[in-house]
Amino acid sequence: MLVEMRGIVKDFGPVRAVDHVDFTVDTGEIVGLLGENGAGKSTLMNVLAGSYPANTGETFINGQRVSITNARTANQYGIRFIHQELNLCNDLAVFENMFLAEEITNGFVLLNKKEMIRRCNQIFERMKVKIDPRIPVENLQAADKQLVEIAKALLFKCELIIMDEPTTALSTHEIENLFSIMRQLKEEGVSFIYISHKIPELFEICETYYVLRDGRLVANGKFGDIDENGITELMIGRQLADDEFSRHVNSSREEVVLSARNLSGEGFKNISFELHAGEILAVTGLHGSGRDAVADALYGVIPYKGEIIINGKPMKAGAKIRAFLSRGIIMVPRMRKERGIHNDLSTYDNISMGYLNTKHKSLFIDKKAEHERFLRQKKALAIKTEQPQNPITSLSGGNQQKVILGRWLETDSTVILFDNPTQGIDVGTKFEIYHLILNFARQGKGIIIFSQEFPEIFKVADSCLVLYKGEINAALGRDELTEKNVMYYSTGANLEGEKYA
Amino acid sequence: MLKSLKIASPKELSKKLVTEYSFVLSFILLVIIAASVNKNFFTWTNISNIFVQSSMVGLIAMGMSMVISAGLIDISVGSQVAIIGGFGILILNRTGSAAVMLIFCIGCGFVLGSINGLLVTKGGMPSMVATMAMQGACRSVINHFGAGGPFTVDKELFEYFRMLAVGGIQITARFKIPYLMIIFCAAGLLFDVIMKQTKLGKHIYAVGSNETSARLSGISVDLVKASTFIITGMLCGIVSVIYASRTTAVAAASAATGYEMDAIAAVAIGGTAMSGGRGKIIGTFMGVLMFKMISNILTAADVSTYLNGAISAAIIVIAVLMQNLQNRRNRN
Repeated sequence: MLVEMRGIVKDFGPVRAVDHVDFTVDTGEIVGLLGENGAGKSTLMNVLAGSYPANTGETFINGQRVSITNARTANQYGIRFIHQELNLCNDLAVFENMFLAEEITNGFVLLNKKEMIRRCNQIFERMKVKIDPRIPVENLQAADKQLVEIAKALLFKCELIIMDEPTTALSTHEIENLFSIMRQLKEEGVSFIYISHKIPELFEICETYYVLRDGRLVANGKFGDIDENGITELMIGRQLADDEFSRHVNSSREEVVLSARNLSGEGFKNISFELHAGEILAVTGLHGSGRDAVADALYGVIPYKGEIIINGKPMKAGAKIRAFLSRGIIMVPRMRKERGIHNDLSTYDNISMGYLNTKHKSLFIDKKAEHERFLRQKKALAIKTEQPQNPITSLSGGNQQKVILGRWLETDSTVILFDNPTQGIDVGTKFEIYHLILNFARQGKGIIIFSQEFPEIFKVADSCLVLYKGEINAALGRDELTEKNVMYYSTGANLEGEKYA
Repeated sequence: MLKSLKIASPKELSKKLVTEYSFVLSFILLVIIAASVNKNFFTWTNISNIFVQSSMVGLIAMGMSMVISAGLIDISVGSQVAIIGGFGILILNRTGSAAVMLIFCIGCGFVLGSINGLLVTKGGMPSMVATMAMQGACRSVINHFGAGGPFTVDKELFEYFRMLAVGGIQITARFKIPYLMIIFCAAGLLFDVIMKQTKLGKHIYAVGSNETSARLSGISVDLVKASTFIITGMLCGIVSVIYASRTTAVAAASAATGYEMDAIAAVAIGGTAMSGGRGKIIGTFMGVLMFKMISNILTAADVSTYLNGAISAAIIVIAVLMQNLQNRRNRN
């Protein structure tokens, strides 16, 4: 038995984030830790890794009671925490990152680069990955950065790796690779705690599960004894049938609201499609398939060649975001934290931002109108907050996303672009957002959803464009929309022979 | 009445005072010290004096608040005042009209601020570097034209032109509200409204808080950044007229040196985050007053004026440390 936590309680002011949780990880075990946002997963792990002290409760390692008060002691016990936001310095080389604060020196001062690089190569060999330790981290793909973090953990004594949502930025292929490395390390006796919102992944990689809800442990057991619906139910505490979406009725009409003709730019080429009023079009593709770039081009974020026609009128070449906004295209951007929210600003201000840019005409901002805007969106989107004057960061991820959506609903729109809209959002709120998307379609708005998660696409989309190496590899109708098809075309299997199928 | 606008309970109010308005506590503390050291502190003459002395750095600090809230910095303000003031006096002597001088100076400020703005936005330069270049260039050009020495207001214009700095609205024989005090307070009020209740203010905070999000929201980030420099430049124009009026001369080499640091310090003491996105004009306003009160206290306590800088530095460090500790406690 490696790690055992007993009766852990952690309060933040009046809020009890973790409430008497017992948690055990065995040697060479991969434990899935599940729960909606705010259920207490990260807090529990931060207690284990020494970031926060627990109010009460004890931690045992191999039967010995220990007190882990900071990251350094956690490391000494062989516990490594890989955070959701990777902690790498982009400007430094891979090996410099891996040995950060633990540099090997010649005698006192000079760094022993050779030795550090040799040790890095050793680890990469053990993991069977090919990364040059001398290149700067900024030149690495997201997946490789994740692997560098794991390699960094393995460099030193490491018996337990905690991974918080490691796959959000990874493609299916990269996830497979990560899993095979995890399995290999598991054989060597390393344990993992794996936090994720992606339930199929958990079933694939983890043996046991712990489900937290509102800070309490609601269930634990073996993944073999439960199915995906059962887990979802445990997490949200109520039945949410998946099949309500399969009765999805296409409400699309004749009129074309947006059409793209031969769009090309950096990372994509020859993109042509038509979007009808009330239609939900999914655009999918692996990481690096040009999905992000197409999303940005349709909103004027990056330059493009070709033609975008909105409501029958073409956009001027070189039009910027504001021009797109004024023509009724709005976007809920990917990576909410970096590209969506203003974290110092209140919920009021975050909601008002879209209105202020597009429709606000008078000199002063009317506090009362601002409050009405908030109430309107709070009601329409079921945003959970009572104190809109507080910074937006006091809201959960799902509610932040609703605020950003609300920001744009205060403007007049005909086309809504959702770029990876449910990234890092808990299951309950995900479903709410799918319902909202379907409702917008029923109101006659044209919708494009950029996503890599098939279950998400399947729930809402009427049709789906699959990108591969920057081009449309397939346009699938609702009846052709299967996970197998999407995977087949997004890996380019139809183009590159059957060995990839 | 709106729910959110309801008056907070005393407990909430005191919590807010400690967390968000800690500069008010520092301010009160300083007033108490000042009053105990200087028994004339609460006389009208002394108080209005502090406001008058604060007015020049104060006006600049209003602009600096905007610049810093947008996540930028402007260290060229002192040199801008010198160059605009120097040429402004030449205009005054030529035309004999303070109004023409004022328009000229504000125009110059607009131009210099625009150059700063263009270098930072279109030129993609860090604001520290761009405004450092501006600082050096302005000082060097005015030194060249003034040969290091002063630009002096013509003798016959003295009386007329000095009125701006020394004059005021006479209420009773012993009670006069100086023009500069009025200007400073009005500017404080105006900028508070701009930052809190206009689109520009919200956009400045948005850009300082998260530039990418701001761009994706359709905000013209470049325009917002440039406006903060332009407004600061125009304030420098106004200040250069006040400076010329107070001293009747602008010494090319030494006029308004250190204004940039005083203004930045006042903004910092007032609780504005140096990384942008957060801050209050009322904080900057009090920050400027605190600065002048310190020298007021030191003079009354007979401390060598040379120590002024060291004690001001200590106050800045303590005030900002207090805010940091508070922020850290809030996070945990």
